[in-house]
Amino acid sequence: MSKKSRSKLWFLVHSWLALPIWFFVLIVCVTGTLAVISQEIVWLANPQMRASQPSDDAPLLSYDQIIAAIKQAEPNTLVESISRPDESHFALDVGVSYPDGRSVTVYVNPYSGVIQGTAPAFDFKAFTRALHGWWLVPFTNGYSWGWYLVSFLSLPLLASLVTGLVVYKRFWKGFLRPTLRIRHGARIFWGDFHRLSGIWSIWFIAVISISSTWFLIQAFMFDNQVTISTAPVALVVPRESVPVTTDGSPAPMISLETAIAQAKERIPGLDDSFVTLPANAYSYLTVGGRSWYPLMFQTADINPYNGDIASTRLLSNRSGLELVTESMRPLHTGDFGGIWIKLIWFFFGLILSMMVLSGLLIWTKRTALATANALKRSNKQTRVQAATEVSQ
Amino acid sequence: MSSRAKQKPDSTLRRFWLKWRFHINVLLLLVPLGFMPKYFADAALFRGDTGLGEREIGEVPVGPWSLRLAELRNEAPTLDGPAGHMKSFTAALCERCRDQVKATYLRIGKPRSLRAAGVIFFGTPHRMGAMLPIPEKTKADAELWITMEGWDGAMHQASLPLSQASPATLAWLNQQGGKP
Repeated sequence: MSKKSRSKLWFLVHSWLALPIWFFVLIVCVTGTLAVISQEIVWLANPQMRASQPSDDAPLLSYDQIIAAIKQAEPNTLVESISRPDESHFALDVGVSYPDGRSVTVYVNPYSGVIQGTAPAFDFKAFTRALHGWWLVPFTNGYSWGWYLVSFLSLPLLASLVTGLVVYKRFWKGFLRPTLRIRHGARIFWGDFHRLSGIWSIWFIAVISISSTWFLIQAFMFDNQVTISTAPVALVVPRESVPVTTDGSPAPMISLETAIAQAKERIPGLDDSFVTLPANAYSYLTVGGRSWYPLMFQTADINPYNGDIASTRLLSNRSGLELVTESMRPLHTGDFGGIWIKLIWFFFGLILSMMVLSGLLIWTKRTALATANALKRSNKQTRVQAATEVSQ
Repeated sequence: MSSRAKQKPDSTLRRFWLKWRFHINVLLLLVPLGFMPKYFADAALFRGDTGLGEREIGEVPVGPWSLRLAELRNEAPTLDGPAGHMKSFTAALCERCRDQVKATYLRIGKPRSLRAAGVIFFGTPHRMGAMLPIPEKTKADAELWITMEGWDGAMHQASLPLSQASPATLAWLNQQGGKP
């Protein structure tokens, strides 16, 4: 095959990758883009989720003080977990259960301990993530087929990146001489737009497609009972270390501050961004958060009766492979360094969505024609071949 | 030959593909629309907005205490990988026993001791859940045993027929029995 026809073939492959499911690809890109900033959208829509520092020197309440404040305001509400969002200006997310059996998230002001409201029944954040992540197809036995459907798109996306760079000759020149011709008609404009946004998104498309390829592999491994995990099996508090009380009232537990202090002693630099209270008398209290490595949480399971650390899940506990695979999700979502990283991910998500759209526009204007021509040509060739065969 | 077949413009399959290929998008978009009611029903179920579970079994007295028991889903046990078939139950402790009960367990068949009381409930006394393994060879007249342990060391037990606890599980077991 000649060099020219080979590059033509690459071009055709590139053109046909997202088709004919282009609209599905576009919606997956758009929902993913929305999912990046879904938490911030809810924050904008729901004032109960906001909490600004009342004055520059106003201290954050400790988790013990938060629990005490909730107990005072609503004595029958039981706290299950407390989690502090990455960004300031957000209220704490506190998982609670009510006497009527509901188990919900409430927003609690970290400076005053006031319960500002209950998370609405429609959880926009969870919904966009479910739509983007598994197309709302329920998980029944193992991974949902919607998960496979969406994560499978990583392969054409990766192929688009590679073939795109192959057909865009000397693409690095585009960095030095950016071209975006506005006055030469729609085809030229969308072509320039597609190329220009393409080269500036190389890193982003690589990150998204490689991480989602991992999601595909992850589901496949899980459904075939293949595991690379070195995480220990969840432990229970040994029966002998759970006290029996003579008056039949619950055994006293250590304060959350004590637990956090224990965890910080073991995990240097730990930012205690969440605590999970024991889920029954024989389960551990978990303290966790990030430290120097922004992509991963480290956690410690602590005996709630004597404060002993039963197990930890640290960066150093993870295998090299796990350090890579567990970094995939934060890299995919951009949820690891506050609002600015999220905004960068959001911006490039929009660009990627626009690339699907501009790619389609170019295709309708050019590739349909090119494919028809190519077919015509090869038809002619076979006819000529057949003719020569007959004459021989 | 195959290349010629591909090029043949009037092959039925190819015509069909050319005509309908972009309609795949419509089909794919119908998928989340179709699953949306289930998604919101599940979200409400897990929040507890629609009660403890899909099917309330009722108040079960256990010694001096009692608990409200429900099937999370009114359906047969689901296969959970190599762990086998699992059935989820939810429960809420009675108001006066919330501070007295240390742990609640669930088991098929009478436990021989507290250490073999079965699976433990996770959650708060207001709403807690347990995943009970259901062996395929469970007999149809099996009983579901509830064991409650007090903070003072007391132990109380109660049982109810599986047919009452989960008719869907019983129906599933009968079906399993039909298998050779």
